[in-house]
Amino acid sequence: MGTENPNRPNYPLRPAASPFAAQQSTTPFLPSGPVPGSEASAFRPAPPASSQFPTPPFPTGPLVGSEPPAFRPPPSSRSNDLVRPPPSYGSPTSGFQRFPTPPLTSTGQVPPPRTSLAGQAVVPPPTRPSPGPVSLLSQPQPPSVPMGTPPQSIKTGQSNPNVPLPADQHFSTSRPNTQPSSPPMGPSYATPRGTFQPAFPGYTNTQPNSVAQAPPTHPASFPLQHGGYAPPSTTPFLAQQRGYVPGPPTSTPSGLYSGNQVQQHGMAPPIATSQTLAEDFSSLSLGSVPGSFDAGLDAAALPRPLDGDVEPKSFAEMYPMNCSSRFLRLTTSGVPNSQSLASRWHLPLGAVVCPLAEAPAGEEVPVINFATTGIIRCRRCRTYVNPYVTFTDNGRKWRCNICSLLNDVPSEYFAHVDATGRRVDLDQRPELTKGSVEFLYMARPPMPPLYFFLIDVSITAVQSGMLEVMAQTIKSCLDSLPGSTRTQIGFITYDSTIHFYNMKSSLTQPQMMVVSDLDDIFVPLPDDLLVNLSESRSVVEAFLDSLPSMFQENTNVESAFGPALKAAFMVMSQLGGKLLIFQNTLPSLGVGRLRLRGDDIRVYGTDKEHMLRVPEDPFYKQMAADFTKYQIAVNVYAFSDKYTDIASLGTLAKYTGGQVYYYPSFQSSIHKDKLRHELARDLTRETAWEAVMRIRCGKGVRFTSYHGNFMLRSTDLLALPAVDCDKAYAAQLSLEETLLTTQTVYFQVALLYTSSSGERRIRVHTAAAPVVADLGEMYRLADTGAIISLFSRLAIEKTLSSKLEDARNAVQLRIVKALREYRNLYAVQHRLSGRMIYPESLKFLPLYGLALCKSTPLRGGYADAQPDERCAAGYTMMALPVKSLLKLLYPDLVRVDDYLVKISSQAEELDNIRKRLPLTAQSLDTRGLYILDDGFRFVIWFGRSISPDITRNLLGEEFITDYSKVSLSQRDNEMSRKLMKLLDRFRESDPSYFQLCHLVRQGEQPREGFFLLTNLVEDQIGGANGYADWMMLLFRQIQQNA
Amino acid sequence: MGDVLAWVLFFVMLIAIIVMLVFQLMCLADLEFDYINPYDSAARINSVVMPEFITHGILCFLCLVTGHWVMSLLSIPYLYYNMRLYIRREQFVDVTEIFNLLNREKKQRFFKLGYVVVLLFITLFWMIFHALEDHH
Repeated sequence: MGTENPNRPNYPLRPAASPFAAQQSTTPFLPSGPVPGSEASAFRPAPPASSQFPTPPFPTGPLVGSEPPAFRPPPSSRSNDLVRPPPSYGSPTSGFQRFPTPPLTSTGQVPPPRTSLAGQAVVPPPTRPSPGPVSLLSQPQPPSVPMGTPPQSIKTGQSNPNVPLPADQHFSTSRPNTQPSSPPMGPSYATPRGTFQPAFPGYTNTQPNSVAQAPPTHPASFPLQHGGYAPPSTTPFLAQQRGYVPGPPTSTPSGLYSGNQVQQHGMAPPIATSQTLAEDFSSLSLGSVPGSFDAGLDAAALPRPLDGDVEPKSFAEMYPMNCSSRFLRLTTSGVPNSQSLASRWHLPLGAVVCPLAEAPAGEEVPVINFATTGIIRCRRCRTYVNPYVTFTDNGRKWRCNICSLLNDVPSEYFAHVDATGRRVDLDQRPELTKGSVEFLYMARPPMPPLYFFLIDVSITAVQSGMLEVMAQTIKSCLDSLPGSTRTQIGFITYDSTIHFYNMKSSLTQPQMMVVSDLDDIFVPLPDDLLVNLSESRSVVEAFLDSLPSMFQENTNVESAFGPALKAAFMVMSQLGGKLLIFQNTLPSLGVGRLRLRGDDIRVYGTDKEHMLRVPEDPFYKQMAADFTKYQIAVNVYAFSDKYTDIASLGTLAKYTGGQVYYYPSFQSSIHKDKLRHELARDLTRETAWEAVMRIRCGKGVRFTSYHGNFMLRSTDLLALPAVDCDKAYAAQLSLEETLLTTQTVYFQVALLYTSSSGERRIRVHTAAAPVVADLGEMYRLADTGAIISLFSRLAIEKTLSSKLEDARNAVQLRIVKALREYRNLYAVQHRLSGRMIYPESLKFLPLYGLALCKSTPLRGGYADAQPDERCAAGYTMMALPVKSLLKLLYPDLVRVDDYLVKISSQAEELDNIRKRLPLTAQSLDTRGLYILDDGFRFVIWFGRSISPDITRNLLGEEFITDYSKVSLSQRDNEMSRKLMKLLDRFRESDPSYFQLCHLVRQGEQPREGFFLLTNLVEDQIGGANGYADWMMLLFRQIQQNA
Repeated sequence: MGDVLAWVLFFVMLIAIIVMLVFQLMCLADLEFDYINPYDSAARINSVVMPEFITHGILCFLCLVTGHWVMSLLSIPYLYYNMRLYIRREQFVDVTEIFNLLNREKKQRFFKLGYVVVLLFITLFWMIFHALEDHH
């Protein structure tokens, strides 16, 4: 609380804050003054942040408005997103940044309003190394911990200022949006709590009701029993409205059900005061809250990530020279300074790296040619020159930021250093100002892009139409394959024999050679099987044109997959490249043949269960290792309607940096768009060839394990035969020394690869993170997205060696441990016995954890997902970048019937429609039309009493029939056009996968259950918990031994 | 005299097993320090795994045949462990996961090594004992 005290005084003093300070601060202060300080500190960050952020981030203006009144998680969540880091540095910084940042950059100090902050700052020393932030940081939040404190104070200070004044700079942009959307906000902000307070009470009341789960009355009873979930969010509100009081993050509101109410209370009650505060809240009336919430939203007081993944911006602003969070995300931006502290952080400590993430236009990674000097690297640790190195000795030497070695500056690279230690040529040296750069590096003639296709042509491939769609797609992509005139291409087809194709450019027609000896494969004409695309273009096209018809009459049901794979390996091993496998049946002949397994229910729940999820035959692992060795990446496309043992086939993709595409029961009439899009993307996206990646980090910390689709070539070197923008890799850190003495830890990701244009390049991402001594600070700087990404990878890996249930329990246990630790941090002195508390930054953690347990790879038991489906989803999730993963775990659910029916300006409407709903059956109205978008497919749900107009317009006259046979296509009416446009919009937002539409009518079982209900992660499905129950469960477990 | 010869034979076989185990451990250590790539390391280790198993199997058999019950009983846990690995098809190191399994593989081999060294000392004792007895 110490911090609070300082802060509080500040508040009152502060101009902006003053209003708040008066109301909120006063209450909290007085009561809490003595004790609560710590709490306040912890939470505070969030609140302010939330306040600031909510507005900006969310255009969801409504939200903003809602927030104040509601406190709700939603707002908070939004705020969180924005804020995430808020708590510690992030939030403050973020807050600051927005406002302050400008000032910071210029002056380094906070603007006038900030001055107050500065004063606050006084207390704590500037823990942070980071320059800009430091000043902010300096205002540590005394109470909690050295590190943490500053932010809080800052935040608080900021928040106040934000509200009234400054925020505007940054906010200005965001705000405008929000305001329009939610008019209430603006005013609300301006007006002190007065207005809000009333709102609160209302909320509480309403919420309980709304919350399906919750019992009606609960507020009182429940709150006490359970912690509120809302807590963090609420705090923010408080902060906004009341001022900082909320400071006590811990306050997490109480009752699950009552959630909101409780939360509010929780918020207020930094401690002893809680009661009084609670009363305050309770007195508020809902009425005041203008329809800020959408239907359904209010119901739940529980936090929901309805804005998708929000990257931790504040942290990035603290270290402006860090690479973007697109490329590197740490699970917590505060690196613990001791092993004992690290061991109290029960969540994974590590990073998620997406080295080639697509950068938005204008932010391309600069390419630097060091032809004259050679690439500047540290002599000892081989770190590449980066913005954090320091030049000394008048520019003749530079000090490595990772190992602190003093290196000579080559004479060609020399530049004078000015009085502040900056090189004078800084503006011409992007490698010294940008966190992400690419160096040209020409060590040897690089390989050409090479695409090799291994195609199953057995009867199912022909019948399903796969062959035709695939051949057409490849043909249409020939022009856009990367590598222009250097690209090489080749084909092998197989059924019970292996067919090679000679495509020498001098031929007019491809020449087919059949090899039927599967035991001792020999490759005929090894030189002509792989040809230069531009030279043999006509032959390749002739081949693709004739491929479907060539096997039209094929009735062969066998599949000599293993031998064909070996043949492909022999052909490709000279050059490396990308191997695309199209497999339709279970491999049945030759080496690597597989048998049916997985249909034995009895295996589930026993110790042998995991055997279903690991490759059956060591042949596949061995082949995968050989492929990687020769720089061959394997992508597996599987189409069968029967068991194909994806567990074994997928191994090939897993260890070669590839990916698995699974189209169960492929029918060209239904799935052709999906295959076409995804295959085309696979062929044409920018690909990095024969890559290796290494993550270096400062002394005292070390990456110990890596998770994703790749193979380790040495303890810390990832071999990636092909990488593209859709692949992410995770790594876990551990501390090597018991105590870190540095103040900052630097991370450098270096990806050495061959670009499609034939250049050898090194892409370098550098990031700095503060070392913190306080657990609360680590929580404040946590990044839920990265944590969940690591969690899911760890859980999926665990399913390969133990039961599904064990993997789920492990996830649950870690969440419980983490929240218990957090609780121990704050709960005791604040007497929060009845509430569940969690840091603002992690408020979605429980929900995502629940969603993870219900995701395809982990859910249920035998009957809940086919083994193939599980494995395919597992392989996919192991490679997904954070954003896509979070969307998959918690899909977007939007209601579209209003939009379709209404005739109005489209641009505005389209934004409105992105209002996401909680994933619970209560969000569904029988008169509505909903779209569920998880990034991989659309489920379009027709309510039972939806207007027949809509169905007729969208589906035509056949709409009465079986929905599973209806395909959605554009029809000649406004409504249909609008819907298709909308779907296109959704698809554009993430082009890595194509979302195929599945139409479902309410009550149409089992399709509805399969497509939609299993995705409503907040509901109780089968034996799995609903959201509220889950929170109760977690809460109870946290309480035990707490 | 026959006894002494038998013990000498056991001794030599145990030495052979120890050499193979040490070789595997060296490969793992080299891998850890990045002196060797995982492919070579795994290939080398795997090339001696079966000889090690077979040598030990023969040792057990010989103990039994020559009537050294105690010695063969002492060898059985080791044999059982090897059989178990073999039946589960876990006897070879997995190239693709070798780094994740490094610690486990090393620990396993260290235990084996310790066990065999104990056997070696017992053998040494009996060998000398019998040799001295013969001498008398």
